[in-house]
Amino acid sequence: MHPHAAMEPFLEAVQYRRQRLEGAVSRGEKVIGYFCTYTPVELIHACGFLPVRIWARTGPAEKACAQVPGFICPYMQLSLENALSGEFLFLSGVVQAYTCDVACGCVNIWKATFPDLLVHSIPLPYNVSPEAGAYLRSCLEETVEKLVSAGGTYSDEALAESLDLYGRIRGILSALHEQRAQGTLAMTSADLNVVAQAFFAMDPVHYLMMLERLVADLNSCRSILAPGIPVLVSGSVVEDAGIISLVEALGLRVAADDLCTGLRAFTPASAAGQNPLEQVGNRIMKRFPCPARSRQSQRIPLVLDLVKSSGAQGVIFLFQKFCTPHLADYPAVCGALKDAGIPSILLELDGNAGMEAQALTRLETFAGMVGA
Amino acid sequence: MGSTGKSKKRLSTARELTRVVTDYYLECHRARAEGRPVGWMPPMNGGIEIFYAMDLQPVFPENWSPVCAAFSLAPGHFEISEGMGYSRDLCGYLRNIVGYVHSDMNGPGVPLGGLPEPDMLMSFGGGCVPAMKIFQILESRFPRAKVFRADVPQVACEDIREHHVDYAVSEIHRLIEFLERTTGRKLDQERLHRTVELSDAACRLWDEIMSLRRCRPAPISASEIGIMFVMVTRQGTQTAVDFLTRVRDEVAERAEQGIGVIEDELVRLFWDNIPLWYNMGLFNEFEGLGGVVVAETYSAAWSLRLDASDPVRALALKSLMSYSLVSCLSIERRKEMVLKACRDYGIDGAVFHRNKSCVPITLGQDEIIRALDEELGIPSVTIDADHMDSRNFSHAQFKARTDAFMEMLLARKNG
Repeated sequence: MHPHAAMEPFLEAVQYRRQRLEGAVSRGEKVIGYFCTYTPVELIHACGFLPVRIWARTGPAEKACAQVPGFICPYMQLSLENALSGEFLFLSGVVQAYTCDVACGCVNIWKATFPDLLVHSIPLPYNVSPEAGAYLRSCLEETVEKLVSAGGTYSDEALAESLDLYGRIRGILSALHEQRAQGTLAMTSADLNVVAQAFFAMDPVHYLMMLERLVADLNSCRSILAPGIPVLVSGSVVEDAGIISLVEALGLRVAADDLCTGLRAFTPASAAGQNPLEQVGNRIMKRFPCPARSRQSQRIPLVLDLVKSSGAQGVIFLFQKFCTPHLADYPAVCGALKDAGIPSILLELDGNAGMEAQALTRLETFAGMVGA
Repeated sequence: MGSTGKSKKRLSTARELTRVVTDYYLECHRARAEGRPVGWMPPMNGGIEIFYAMDLQPVFPENWSPVCAAFSLAPGHFEISEGMGYSRDLCGYLRNIVGYVHSDMNGPGVPLGGLPEPDMLMSFGGGCVPAMKIFQILESRFPRAKVFRADVPQVACEDIREHHVDYAVSEIHRLIEFLERTTGRKLDQERLHRTVELSDAACRLWDEIMSLRRCRPAPISASEIGIMFVMVTRQGTQTAVDFLTRVRDEVAERAEQGIGVIEDELVRLFWDNIPLWYNMGLFNEFEGLGGVVVAETYSAAWSLRLDASDPVRALALKSLMSYSLVSCLSIERRKEMVLKACRDYGIDGAVFHRNKSCVPITLGQDEIIRALDEELGIPSVTIDADHMDSRNFSHAQFKARTDAFMEMLLARKNG
């Protein structure tokens, strides 16, 4: 039994996500999968679909190896392994915001392998300008067209409702992240990771209710400054809370994260705009950026701000192995941290192999270095 | 570890390429000396023609990497970039150019004088991630260079719609405005029109040359593919058109006279993915066994046409399509292209380079291999390598796989 009773539904939501989504589909719901958290989930939801983030697994990629080389990130490799093993038969489609080359290539493989699925890639702009904004709105309109052709319905009113729903969820999750940064969150970062993973896997209406219960439960606890040396965790996809638990078990406290399955997915909670579609576009353009979609000069100050505001005394980079966007930025980010007197360590996550003892030893050394 | 080997050239015009390459780099250095603005940019976009139309000097760091590989400079550059913290899992183009710009760029041992430092950087959003990241790193390395932050939709050719084109057109206009403001030069519309005409003429010649490779015996093989240098660096110039015209004429003459790459062409091969720039001699190794690489995927990147009646739109379309043609288009479309090429060129077997330095082209290869087998009965072999980093290539493994493959193809031919 978890110390917070309100955590149980989140743990179950992650553990039984497949069965629950299959159940939803058997009741007539339609589910759309996505990989990247730049994907406009509100739009998918407003069209009458349930958006869920496609998940990977640990262990070997036996079936996927026949379709993809071994030098792509384990997340994309193992999510394909899941798909080939029948994990995602409930999906009606995959709608994906174009992020990195591997995601693009793998989406193409999904399209070729599962010809009955709606597969649509959204080529987001990189710049922020009125022209880029207008272009993005056209891309979102095209996405609506695709979703409608797959049996969805769209109205501005429905999108406004979905925006409100997701805005509230992201607002609460951002607030939890903020409390964590201040050291006043009465739950571990591993638990917060589970809460985030549940967001990606379930109906947002139900999720919001669970989240509100959790907040009430946390508010009833006496806020105490969490122990441990504060650190920032930076990387892409971290699905398994185990690695966060491991960090916390070493006397470190994850005070903030710069993960696409964490803070980056929820910041900002919403954005203004003259109409609902524009609000969706504006939020994407104002998002805490991923290295695949931003310049080093844009991201580094944000990461440094996050270190400063959370009081992190060290940074743990948790990269999916072979992740080009993160690896390409790493020397510059690492250098900027060094200049600011912040030590860091890089660990590459290989879902195939699990956490190596060598990585644990390195983490222990790092913990010792920052004084844990 | 792979040995370095240069390919054997049969065309006298291909041998002329050395002069074309030297002239290009001399021109780059002359531009710097004469105060003509130098801009570094990624290849395969419409910025090249605009530069030439404004008498600006385009320089292509990505294209410099094959030069470094051919001159065996890449390992030294890898050592520098990896020492800076760049992972060996990153694309070899990125690691090479980062190492190069952090070395003595124009030192005495650097071939062709190296690259002149940039006055401007065309730093793209679009294309592949390593290409984008290269320019972000260059922004830090050359802080005095004026930076144009371009944006090109990453959309498969078959999915291009009007809003993608409109955005790409607006980006081309923004680029022109940036160049005019930064350099004080005005773009002459008539000159742009002429430049796009020349670019289209080069593409037409390129297609003609590639089509002539359908002849039996094939008049040229992939070992002459270095001629694509002009498609990368000289598009929109009379130099490219003149050179390609001479190549076309010579290839046509060889085809007419039945002069093949080798005396007894037994097997016709298709190559998928980027060649191994540090070992172009591999193409000749097939020849020793009666095989000729007569077609490849990579050359398709220049198989497009430009409508000079609307130059800006033509360049926008080129920017949208060039990258997509060899990478992010759907597997269905890639299969169509490869299968069509294999039919058109009478291919007996296909060689798939599983390229650690190029994920976009490598992903999806297995589907294409299956389609070749199931739909055309064409067998394939996969070689594991890297277009830049010879440490990711085993020549012995290559030999073992391709010798067995060639033996099987020859047995099928004779059986």
